[in-house]
Amino acid sequence: MFEEINFPGQHEQEKIILFLRRHWFIFLMRIILILISIIALVMIYFFFSTDDPNLKESTYYNLLLFGESLATLFIWNFFFIMWLDFYLDAWIVTDERIINIEQRGFFTRKISELKLTKIQDATLLNYGNIHVQTAGEKEHFVFIQIPDPNYVKSVIVELQEKERVSEEKELGKIIRGGK
Amino acid sequence: MPLISIFYLILVLVYLAIGAAIIFHMLYYRINRKVATVMFFIYSTGGIILLTSNFFLFRIVNWYNIFSDSGF
Repeated sequence: MFEEINFPGQHEQEKIILFLRRHWFIFLMRIILILISIIALVMIYFFFSTDDPNLKESTYYNLLLFGESLATLFIWNFFFIMWLDFYLDAWIVTDERIINIEQRGFFTRKISELKLTKIQDATLLNYGNIHVQTAGEKEHFVFIQIPDPNYVKSVIVELQEKERVSEEKELGKIIRGGK
Repeated sequence: MPLISIFYLILVLVYLAIGAAIIFHMLYYRINRKVATVMFFIYSTGGIILLTSNFFLFRIVNWYNIFSDSGF
């Protein structure tokens, strides 16, 4: 299901269980800014066209087109900056750990991980936010504005339980002298 | 080189610098190879078309008339 996905430091046998990004609605809200800018450009064009019916013959017509084109260039870049901010922010739940990839603008990129065995609790905060707390340590992860948080929480709890049981089995083997 | 051309060149360089940063992040930090490749082609094709058309529009603007009309 997640064959196409790869992340830095991925182990060879590591299986991706969940791949999460913020809800698409959050991205849509940002797109509205782009739409407003495009509508503003169209409105500026129509405003000047109706204000001066002979605009097409005047020297200012090309200047207007040039200005609109320049604004479109920067709106194009702005859209992709917003897309990258959405696309590169991700949480990956594997059968071994949880990886948090956090991208803030162009210059800050933070990748942190949490072993499943260290997880103590996963709680649902507000709508779409999950707080993952580790035992004894101050370390914690917050999944922000993710889709289907109930399902994600149940998967994390299930994986953590599985890891705990297998760790106990391993420990039992060691105590029994490897039998 | 006229002042307006220098000003335009600076704007284009800013645009290209941002574009280079976008492409670097898109390809170097890619999570999904297919998505990154498709988005890279969309971005670069659109960017080249927009930049070329913008350059042609810059050339056809009669800057001399505009500045002399406005009193510069």
